[in-house]
Amino acid sequence: MEQAAAGGKGTVTPLASMFPVNEAQKAAKRVEEKIGEKQKELDCIKEYVTENTNLINLVSRLPDELNHDIMVPFGKAAFFPGRLIHTNELMVLLGDGYYAERTAKQTVEILTRRGKALDSQVESLMANMKDLKAEASFFDVTASEAAEGLVEIREDYVEENSWEKHSKSDDKNNDKKVAFEDDEYARIMSRLDELEKEELEAEDEEVDAEDDDESAVEQPDAAENDDESDTDEQTDAAESNSENHDNTQPKAKFNQFPHQIHSEIRKPLQQTTAEALSNKYLPQQSITDTSNVLMQTPKSGFNSSKAFTGSIAESADTVSTNSRQQAVTSSQASEPAFDSSKASKPAFDSSKAFTGSVVERTYNLPTSGQDAVSSQSSSSQPSKPVSRFKIRRS
Amino acid sequence: MGSSAAIRELQRDLENKANDLSKLQKDIAKNHQVRKKYTIQLGENELVLKELDLLNEGANVYKLIGPVLVKQDLAEANANVSKRIEYISAELKRLDGTLQDLEEKQNSKKDAIFKLQQRIQSFQAGKAKA
Repeated sequence: MEQAAAGGKGTVTPLASMFPVNEAQKAAKRVEEKIGEKQKELDCIKEYVTENTNLINLVSRLPDELNHDIMVPFGKAAFFPGRLIHTNELMVLLGDGYYAERTAKQTVEILTRRGKALDSQVESLMANMKDLKAEASFFDVTASEAAEGLVEIREDYVEENSWEKHSKSDDKNNDKKVAFEDDEYARIMSRLDELEKEELEAEDEEVDAEDDDESAVEQPDAAENDDESDTDEQTDAAESNSENHDNTQPKAKFNQFPHQIHSEIRKPLQQTTAEALSNKYLPQQSITDTSNVLMQTPKSGFNSSKAFTGSIAESADTVSTNSRQQAVTSSQASEPAFDSSKASKPAFDSSKAFTGSVVERTYNLPTSGQDAVSSQSSSSQPSKPVSRFKIRRS
Repeated sequence: MGSSAAIRELQRDLENKANDLSKLQKDIAKNHQVRKKYTIQLGENELVLKELDLLNEGANVYKLIGPVLVKQDLAEANANVSKRIEYISAELKRLDGTLQDLEEKQNSKKDAIFKLQQRIQSFQAGKAKA
């Protein structure tokens, strides 16, 4: 089944074959044990540190009085009252059986030096434990991923390729959590720029909308302005087309999606959302997918998805519901490619620019242009959008 | 029948080698323990030397010998500790040398055992065919 999903090109290897589940778990357990040992050591040293500070306090208080009334330990169980004299004379164990006669002040100096040595030990232990914890979490993640039946998809990147390919290479990145290569990113960006230029030439009336989008690109943090402009556009477009189409339906859609996004953003785990998603229908998938990845910068991620819903509503005005789905899937094919790059700002910008392009294209098309849309988005069909969800073993 | 005798021979050889290997590994573990002890002592002595250096000339220094504290000259104590550090360092170096030696032996033994196992396997494979 996995091989079929790969479409013949590239390879699909289950993660479990590279890192057997029980092996990874064993490794994780071993690291956990090591962490436990280190923790014990650390506790021990910390106890020394507190003992040392207590001793420093005691020694610095001793010479305050000429003599102290104390209970002297005698044998194992007995004490008898006594008196501590010569309160400023201490015999300090330097180590290895060597003692030195010191005053209280000098003793405190020695003890503070020891305290410093202990502190450095604590620090090194902490660093050690931090490393081990990172290792442990890596093993845990690997084990759980292997247990889930996650697969690695490897595929050669071809320049002249459909958006579908982009989405697939993106899937690979998502699955493996490999850092997105810079050059690949640059290539996609240049392609986007080309598309944008074409659109600019083709359509002069839409220049305003494009400008809005681009201003948003320059200032991705200006959230409120951005949202307003988008909603304005959307309502304008809706009014202009109100004769041809039922206006209420896209509106309802527009309201529905932000709600969706809200709920999805709250869900913290990518895996759980992904699983939940597999049951939902496609446009929702695409949107929640973007919001899902952009969650790392929650504010901007939320904005971009808002803008995105705006574009959906617009395209819905001109095209039928069916073609809207396709427009969405086509944009979906391109969008996750940027999402996976951790550089959230440029990713957010480019996805914006692209949603703009989707909107404009649909305006240009005849009302029955669902075929044209799908061909422009180069064969990304709703039936075969994201291999990740399909591949996941049941 | 000759082949089975050869196999028995090889297996005996293998057993001997495995015993040697485990002995070597025990030695290495012991070596590590001793090394650890010496390293701790070295750290302690260095600490003592540092503190002794910080003491002024007239300070009284004692050495605990058995149950009694014996008064020592500061210079004498200093010299003693330095000598002790020297000794421990030399000992550590020696241990390092032996450890390396042991590890080399262990590796060669492992190789030999691996080869023996392969030979036994090939023998058995030949026997299965015949």
